[in-house]
Amino acid sequence: MNRLRRGRLAAALVPLALLAAGCDRKQNALAPASHQSQDIATLFWWMTGVSVVGLAVVIGLLLLAWKRSGRRGAAADTHGSKPGERVGWYVVVIGGVAVPILLITALFVVANLFVIKTTEAPAANSTKRTILVIGHQWWWEVRYPGTSAVTANEIHIPVRTPVRLEVRTADVIHSFWVPELNRKIDTLPGTTNAIELYADAVGRYRGQCAEFCGLQHAHMGIWVDAEPPAKFRQWLAGQSRPAAAPKGALASAGRDAFMTGACADCHQIRGTSATSQVGPDLTHVADRQTLAALTIPNTPSYLHDWIRDSQRFKPGNLMPSFGGLPEQELRELVAYLEELK
Amino acid sequence: MLIASEATLFGAFIGTYFYFRFRAPQWPPDGIPEPRVVVPLILLAVLLAGSIPMHLASQAASAGRVGAARLFVLAALALQAGYFAWAVHDFSAQLQMFDITRDAYSSIYYVLLGAALAHVALGILFDLWLLGKLVRGLTTYRLHATQAIAFYWHAVNVIALVVTLTLLTAAIG
Amino acid sequence: MAIATPPTPAAARRMDRLEVMWQSRPGVLGWLTTTDHKRIGLLYFWTTLVLFGAGGIEAMVMRTQLIQPNNDLVSPGTYDELFTLHGLTMIFFFIIPMTTGAFGNYLIPLMIGARDMAFPRMNALSYWIFLGSAIFLYTSLALGMAPNAGWFDYVPLASKQYTPGHNIDFYALAIIFNSIASTLTAAQFIVTILKSRAPGMSFNRMPLFCFAFLAASFGLLFALPPLSADAIFLFLDRNVGTHFFDPSHGGAALLWQHLFWIFGHPEVYILIVPAFGIATSIIPAFTQRRLVAFPLVAIAELLVVFIGFGVWAHHMFATGMSTTALVFFAGATSMVVIPSTIQVFAWCMSFVLGVARFKTPLLFIAGFIFMFVAGGLTGIMFIAIPFDQQVTDTYFIIAHFHYIIFGAAVFPIFGGMYYWFPKVTGKLYFERPGQISFWLLFVGTNLLFFPMHIVGLLGMTRRIYTYPSNLGWTSYNVIETIGGYITLVGILVLFGNLVWSYLRGLPAGPDPWHGPTLEWTTSSPPPEYDFAVIPKVTSAYPNWDVEDREEDRRKLAGGVLVLDEGHEQVEVTPVDGWLSRVVEMPHDSPWPVLLALCLSLVFVMLLLQHFAIAGLMGILCLLTLLGWHSKEPEAA
Repeated sequence: MNRLRRGRLAAALVPLALLAAGCDRKQNALAPASHQSQDIATLFWWMTGVSVVGLAVVIGLLLLAWKRSGRRGAAADTHGSKPGERVGWYVVVIGGVAVPILLITALFVVANLFVIKTTEAPAANSTKRTILVIGHQWWWEVRYPGTSAVTANEIHIPVRTPVRLEVRTADVIHSFWVPELNRKIDTLPGTTNAIELYADAVGRYRGQCAEFCGLQHAHMGIWVDAEPPAKFRQWLAGQSRPAAAPKGALASAGRDAFMTGACADCHQIRGTSATSQVGPDLTHVADRQTLAALTIPNTPSYLHDWIRDSQRFKPGNLMPSFGGLPEQELRELVAYLEELK
Repeated sequence: MLIASEATLFGAFIGTYFYFRFRAPQWPPDGIPEPRVVVPLILLAVLLAGSIPMHLASQAASAGRVGAARLFVLAALALQAGYFAWAVHDFSAQLQMFDITRDAYSSIYYVLLGAALAHVALGILFDLWLLGKLVRGLTTYRLHATQAIAFYWHAVNVIALVVTLTLLTAAIG
Repeated sequence: MAIATPPTPAAARRMDRLEVMWQSRPGVLGWLTTTDHKRIGLLYFWTTLVLFGAGGIEAMVMRTQLIQPNNDLVSPGTYDELFTLHGLTMIFFFIIPMTTGAFGNYLIPLMIGARDMAFPRMNALSYWIFLGSAIFLYTSLALGMAPNAGWFDYVPLASKQYTPGHNIDFYALAIIFNSIASTLTAAQFIVTILKSRAPGMSFNRMPLFCFAFLAASFGLLFALPPLSADAIFLFLDRNVGTHFFDPSHGGAALLWQHLFWIFGHPEVYILIVPAFGIATSIIPAFTQRRLVAFPLVAIAELLVVFIGFGVWAHHMFATGMSTTALVFFAGATSMVVIPSTIQVFAWCMSFVLGVARFKTPLLFIAGFIFMFVAGGLTGIMFIAIPFDQQVTDTYFIIAHFHYIIFGAAVFPIFGGMYYWFPKVTGKLYFERPGQISFWLLFVGTNLLFFPMHIVGLLGMTRRIYTYPSNLGWTSYNVIETIGGYITLVGILVLFGNLVWSYLRGLPAGPDPWHGPTLEWTTSSPPPEYDFAVIPKVTSAYPNWDVEDREEDRRKLAGGVLVLDEGHEQVEVTPVDGWLSRVVEMPHDSPWPVLLALCLSLVFVMLLLQHFAIAGLMGILCLLTLLGWHSKEPEAA
């Protein structure tokens, strides 16, 4: 195959590869689940189409040059009239000035005067519900103003209902990003930013922090769960309630270990004497899908291993490993925490 | 060229000053006195006056009159050194009143003022060097040096003017 | 015209006198005290190659770490240092010094018909300061405290509260230290290009290489100060307790970003514009045709840097700034595209209308055009603010800027190495391995960077040391890592070829390519004094002007503009290139390396927070400057 033709083939494979990517739903900007992400994805496909054509034109010119290089009668052009210069100028002015101006203006108008209206921050009080997210190194604090619900690393929203999401940070700059629902928004110290969260369909959507924020930036994920409105209300009511009292001896011993040990120094469990807000609120920790901001699944054995050696899963995170705890105490703590639904 | 670079550096500092100013609810912030207007303006006038003898020195050197050139540089030096001594005294007095570590206002205030003073100090050293050279007579090299240093002073004076006026805007409104 | 074989005994005598006048001291001392732009260019070349190697190793370690999910080849802390150093090294310690310090220094005087830069000692100073800043930065790695908050080092992460160690102090000081070298180089280039051209080389007859370097130099001059201001503020916040970036005391975290990107965006044009200059030197030589739309290309090169100063906040679209501000910056960004599209079509039409010989240098330029257009098209996509807000800070952006930087800056650098290899070494490189090195690099870099577009859209954010296995990112990462290794092989073949060609290549003669510009009129390598006679210039392609070169031969025999009475060079008017006078140039001097040493001590003392001693070292610097200016040039 012609060497230079390989370039063209590579360019043709682009849309196929991207199409394949579009089928998956994991954290995929090309699998939109809201009108915002849909608009952005549509923009992308159009831009890619036009870009492929543009790239093909340039590759075509280079191939043409290669073809012509063997032509007869071609001499070096060191003095005099510069044959073909006029054609050259036409191509440069049309291809290099006129066409780009047209295309870019069209892109600008569509994207920055129209699409942007759906992706920009919604005005305060424009939606029925506001959720507050506060970025920490390396977890997300989630609050529902107007209720006492506080959780971490999971947001539940009612499906097909616009929600205003306000974002802040407790320390450094983070960036809240759930690509299937909307673009990203940075969290800056001293300010509150906002975007709209809206999901077309019931489901769970994954996101993660998108601004380098230190050692465990890689493990700062978040789930957004879009639920039918009734189910959402039920969830929210549950999250607003204080912690259930422990049932059984093991869990009771676990609660005591929690309150007297180091746990209460950092973690709040509403309805108990543990009120510190340094780390995530654990009032309903057993409800969550994952631990450590989507790093490990929330199962008893992972929870046990996490407490004993969190540094192994998330080295550098701000929770120390408690390897010195006796095994019995660990089992008591796990039993207690597993009941916090 | 290098002066253009330094001027841009001051541009960045001044941009920062106004960035803080337009975000602040109160300027100067609570607890910091508004800058005095009269004394800084007098000081500035003294410094700017130094441009005149520097310009004359440049002209005298071009005309070959090395004695006159020397005298003009000396005159400029007197004005600039006088400004510098007074300004440094003022600077340290202000540091007693509000420290650089107090807040963003004090941070940019002292950096702006300090940077301007540093450039004045450098200019004074240039003056001394020039005088040392001119004492031994005039050459093309020393003529160019005189012209270059005069240009340096005009640039520093413009910068000092902009810096002083910027800092004085805190006294308005 | 090859002055390698002087025709008359009179001419030969003059050349001998010139040789004696311009000779360097022998041995190591000669290299330490050199002011010869060619030697300084070579010093930059080798030093930046070592740093390129360091940056490359950093990249390969990262790619190997990312070959599989949940890998533990390196710790998160080490990974953070790797990506920070990789960015810093490649930008500040490879591309800028390689294009400006190595290519610019070596070639600009040769292209304009001068014997040296306008300020040869300051040129040497730039190099030694650059070397000092590189050693300073890498000492941090040796001490295990390399900068680790990314090459753009956002606060508050970079503040003392969140990164208490010396890592960020190394960052701030190294940046300021390095920028002194680049500022001096920029000032040097501007004055040299404006005032040291050969008589007759009016502004519109300058090689496009010089337009490019002029644009980049103005860019550096105005872009570096905001960065230095930023770094000064950071250093003060961390070490003195000021509050520039602290919102609780009236400061602003976003201030860092604004000042950084006011530097950062022009910086990326500064990175690629010299490479455009290299491309526009290679294209005429290998198409044997004057470049299509030369005046448009020259203006475009200047415009792209100028407009580039107005677009900086497009790096900050996700920070929550008002829609009005965002739309303004997107508008400015739209304008900056046009000078680039003009150049792309001018290059392509030059290929088409000339007789393209696809030898290795031109292959690299063809590859460069492909990569630049691909990267430029994704750049245009970012004009759509919502799209930018979706993909910024992901691997999509990493793909974009690596297509541009590797494709549009590094490919021309490699092409330029092959193109000027005969001039610098006097030998021809081996063509077959050259072509192989190109294809390995082309395939390797596309395999390495193309999948990043996809994996970024699939949600892979940047600066993560690992990733989970269930998001569909793994296979793309594997392909990228393989591409990285192929690229590595391509680089090894390239340098292996150059070394082997140096040892065993055929003699090149002065003008193996029939190139258009003045460097091809000298011997290979050029003599210390560059030109035996200051050349006559009547067009932008002087080596193709046979009558002018004949005239030079006559001038040499007759002693006109040979300037062999002293260590001399001409000065001309900036626009028209009329001869204004002859100047005496300084020769080898120990002052530059001594001043650089004193300046290094200032920075070390600042790092250690011994501010008083730093002040003393500063005074030492001033004393060194005094010594530097103690001897005056003879009156001309």
